[in-house]
Amino acid sequence: MTILAWKDTLKKVKEILEKAPIGYCLDYEIPADKSIKEALITVTGKTFIAKAKISKIAPYQNEKNVLKKKKDKLKTLITIEKIEEIQDDIVNYEEVSGGSVDKVLSFAVIVKKEEAKIELPDHMEGKLNSEVKSLIRQVEKDGNSLPVKIAEQLTAAKKHYGIGEKDFEKLIKATLEKYKETGVDPYEAVGIVGAQSIGEPGTQMTMRTFHFAGVAEMDVTLGLPRLIEIVDARKTPSTPSMTIFLTEKARGDEDRAVSLARSIESTTLLDVADIEVNTTEGYVLILLDKQKMQERGLKREEIMPKLKKIRMQKTVISEEENKIRLSQEEPSYKKIYQLYENLKTFQVKGLDGIKRAIVKFDQKAKEWVIYTQGSNLAGVMELKDVDYARTKTNDIIEISQVLGVEAAREAIIEESTSTLHNAGLNTDIRHLMLVSDMMTFSGNVEAIGRHGISGKKASVLARAAFEITSKHLLNAGLIGEVDKLNGVAENIIVGQPITLGTGAVKLSYRREE
Amino acid sequence: MAKYNILMHEMVPEHWLVPVKEEEKILKSLGVTKGQLPKIRRTDPVIKTLEKAPGIGEIVPGRIIEIVRKSRTRGIAKIYRTVIGE
Repeated sequence: MTILAWKDTLKKVKEILEKAPIGYCLDYEIPADKSIKEALITVTGKTFIAKAKISKIAPYQNEKNVLKKKKDKLKTLITIEKIEEIQDDIVNYEEVSGGSVDKVLSFAVIVKKEEAKIELPDHMEGKLNSEVKSLIRQVEKDGNSLPVKIAEQLTAAKKHYGIGEKDFEKLIKATLEKYKETGVDPYEAVGIVGAQSIGEPGTQMTMRTFHFAGVAEMDVTLGLPRLIEIVDARKTPSTPSMTIFLTEKARGDEDRAVSLARSIESTTLLDVADIEVNTTEGYVLILLDKQKMQERGLKREEIMPKLKKIRMQKTVISEEENKIRLSQEEPSYKKIYQLYENLKTFQVKGLDGIKRAIVKFDQKAKEWVIYTQGSNLAGVMELKDVDYARTKTNDIIEISQVLGVEAAREAIIEESTSTLHNAGLNTDIRHLMLVSDMMTFSGNVEAIGRHGISGKKASVLARAAFEITSKHLLNAGLIGEVDKLNGVAENIIVGQPITLGTGAVKLSYRREE
Repeated sequence: MAKYNILMHEMVPEHWLVPVKEEEKILKSLGVTKGQLPKIRRTDPVIKTLEKAPGIGEIVPGRIIEIVRKSRTRGIAKIYRTVIGE
């Protein structure tokens, strides 16, 4: 169902709310469309605050007893039957025709975006082998616990070697003992061990950023710079990139993959045209380059409706062959220049942020995969033909915004292990898991270091020992902070045994009664 | 929201809302308080999506979310996060 939408002032919306049902005059030409029965009004350009039932859209002919959006230059009269206040985000809607809604001088015809029906995934535990399940339950009965992976290996071994019940019980007992032994001891300094385990092999990593690594013709930051980027939780990685997988129907079809790759590549006006500025007569001329347009798979007819959305008021657009002339109603040097600046970065095609997209055939999986330079996870996941469940980006912050902290934790582990593996280093994954657990502990992705978790330690002395000593001590003095001396660094400072290993254990004597 | 269901994404582990009745049992077995558990923001995309799933409704701060991860070391690992406001 199509809906009419426009931007208005809060005052006007309140007036309509008061006086409805009433006719309302707008200052733009809206083609009469009988299928439109609803209208949404926004004030901020971010949320719709009013929903109106409308019965007629007609040209304005000086009717009386109607509300007016403006004093003059009115063009359309719409008859509002009923109006109510609502709260709905603009992002929930898609534009069908007309301009963009967040512009005062325009209207748009919109439809509500399709929404995915939220279904919950299946329980992973439910899918386990019944033998594995019963083994875990049996072990738990005695107050022990066994990881799923070991339980699986045990049952597999039982089958493979034909172990009898009695021997199997002995095997379980021995496994449990070994498992307990391998656990980390209480008050073991896992953080230090982790830091050493990543740091030591890290010294052998390349300091240089390699280009054209990984995927052909694609820049990917690797080695130490990438590792630093990950633990620093940078807002955007230096070489963001995405791996886009296609749905079952599309993954075998090269043409579909190529056309999808082309459609997401962001193309600016400057990529396909030359822009000339004429300041004396006050207009901007866009000279379209046919060849470049063909290369990008762009048609002239596609550019025109997009240009109407330009965020400049009172722009007059006229077309000539291969030329588009844009001028202002009241041209001034400043305005023309502003228009030129806007046009230079004007996006005519594609998704924000995606600079390049190439298609490659994955020999192993036998499917076409799209690799991109630049990342826009939310945008790509919405597209048709894209298998959103497998689509990935290397931008960890973006993952945390689109898929949540847990996915970000997963991404940190994945990215850091693959960076280390690419350099030929084998760091135990448990260290990297600890790092990513710490980085996502607070529910946000936080850096390791001054601005992240080290800067948020509870103890003043520990913070002061890390960096900017005087600042921390001064602040602590000002607000009267108390240090409970629970950590390691602060106890070294005051000269006490540290709370690690045996130092953390206190002996107490319980008298037998 | 969107045309996709992020709960089905490969990188998103299972998230389950723990019934209030079971909270105490879990905290006791772990020997921690709610405040000591890792956190998850109420505005986290997964929480927002979970709220839209049938039969769950609003998730207020203080509730516990059970997360079932596909672990590379354990096979399946269960962890818990406390929901926090902002």
